[in-house]
Amino acid sequence: MSSKSLTLRNISKRFGNVNALDNFNLEVGVGELVALLGPSGCGKTTALRVVAGLEHQDAGSVLVGDRDISQTPAHKRNMGMVFQAYSLFPNLTVEENVAFGLQMRKVNKHVRLKKAHELLDLVGLDSQSKRFTHQLSGGQQQRVALARALAFEPEILLLDEPLSALDAQVRVNLREEIRRLQLSLGTTTLFVTHDQEEAMAISDRVGVMNNGVLEQIDTPDALYNKPASSFVASFVGTMNRIPAHITDGMVEIFGSKIVALKRGNESGKVHALIRPESIAVAASTQGNAKVLTRSFMGASSNIICQTADGTIVQSLMTSASTGDLLPGSSVQLRVLSSEVLVANV
Amino acid sequence: MKRKFDLPLTITLAVLALFVFIPMLSAFEFSIRTPVKGGYGWDQYLWAIREEEFFYYIIRSGWLAALTVLITLIVLVPTMTWLHLSKSTIRPFVDGISLLPLVIPVVAFAVGAQISFPEFVQDTVLELPFLYFVLALPYAYRTLDIGLNSIPLKTLTEAARSAGANWWRTIITVIIPVIKSAVVGTVAITFALSLGEYTLTVLLHWDTFPTWVTYVAQENILGAIAISMMSLIIPFLVLTALTLVAPERSTQGRK
Repeated sequence: MSSKSLTLRNISKRFGNVNALDNFNLEVGVGELVALLGPSGCGKTTALRVVAGLEHQDAGSVLVGDRDISQTPAHKRNMGMVFQAYSLFPNLTVEENVAFGLQMRKVNKHVRLKKAHELLDLVGLDSQSKRFTHQLSGGQQQRVALARALAFEPEILLLDEPLSALDAQVRVNLREEIRRLQLSLGTTTLFVTHDQEEAMAISDRVGVMNNGVLEQIDTPDALYNKPASSFVASFVGTMNRIPAHITDGMVEIFGSKIVALKRGNESGKVHALIRPESIAVAASTQGNAKVLTRSFMGASSNIICQTADGTIVQSLMTSASTGDLLPGSSVQLRVLSSEVLVANV
Repeated sequence: MKRKFDLPLTITLAVLALFVFIPMLSAFEFSIRTPVKGGYGWDQYLWAIREEEFFYYIIRSGWLAALTVLITLIVLVPTMTWLHLSKSTIRPFVDGISLLPLVIPVVAFAVGAQISFPEFVQDTVLELPFLYFVLALPYAYRTLDIGLNSIPLKTLTEAARSAGANWWRTIITVIIPVIKSAVVGTVAITFALSLGEYTLTVLLHWDTFPTWVTYVAQENILGAIAISMMSLIIPFLVLTALTLVAPERSTQGRK
């Protein structure tokens, strides 16, 4: 497999008055899986379509390796693409669908069918090769689409929300399968999704987009624990925003002083950004909050409390330690981390 | 599966069948009369087949119709695919234009063609397929439109292009096979309409099968009807063959 790196340089794209991409830059290393994550309309799909050549950028360039493909038509870009749904050719059988890209490259029939069977075997559908696509389930159809995108050994694999039309369980299985295949074939992959769990679960790095701009791109771990902006902090995972005051670089939360991690010139009144798992709740008659609800989720439980000043605080704890936290009971909240991110109000 | 007997439907179909078949059967009965000998016989049919012009005109009309079909497909399929894919606002406008041949009288159309076409175009019978194409446009356009609306055209086109197909191969290997039933419908309608076109052909002073039949009728009405009966059967056989060719697999429901 001849995978290459992918570079987007200063890409801008407007649709009427909307700035879909605004001086957008991205680098995906050889064999890397990068996810673009963001709310709908943030420009992530436009970025993917510009890479595929299905949309043309107003400015900027797209490079595969060190080759500039900005002006190359879509069918000559050698990129495999998996769409949301309904992209299989209904007039062709499963194996003919997978072999389609090789047929377009004028590979002889024997070779391309052999390759199609190899790929179908990889996605566990070789036994279905003679069927028509409407005879398959949604998950199977997306597996075939994945096999079709990989059959001609593309330099880049593009995934445009390939799991969004599937049932929850199928989604989880298929995303693991995509990652397994991507790792074993070493294909450079750009994956667009609005589902953060999906992005975090299988990507080497995740880029969070907002209003046509890449807010932050980092490993899932860093994105979750060290969000670069208030938007990233709230978009990725659940985040408590607790009103606080900065004095001498410290914020006082629930009665204790904690080091404030600033991203800019935050001062005075701020919001402290704290993950639910960084807040401990303990039963206490002299507590600073009241339990509103407790949701049992198996190993962990979600406790929602309200402080005396009305702030709603969410905590995630192991279920074993939440037995006495009944709704209405008085509790003491405590921040577990030694430093907290702050954002301007 | 046993179907329930549906009385209103049966009556409607029966009445329709009477309207279609009584005139045809009467014409057939008329065409096999032998006035001189009395009784019935195949004299007129044998006469028609022995007429050299019978085959000359039927072949001529046949290839003119085939050419019309070709022009229709080459012009309409890519144009309409583009119209369906583009975000441009001209589609309703083109929809409207496609209906114009229904409201413009054929006489006006013929005169317009005679005035505007250069002489070298008017000198060849090849002008007819282009004009037949315009006459068949309202029907061909609608049929293809329905076909293109019924498929996820954008995704299929993008999937084909990203897999390495250029525009022509996308149209030929993906779009046409996927909307096969609409394409077959367009072919059938255009072919039948071109084969039977009379007014425009006469006005432009060309001879094709329908104009020849009218000419024959002035001398031998029984023979003309025999020819007409045969000309009914030929398109019928063509249409039936085309319908049988259209497979069901492309029209089966997608999830």
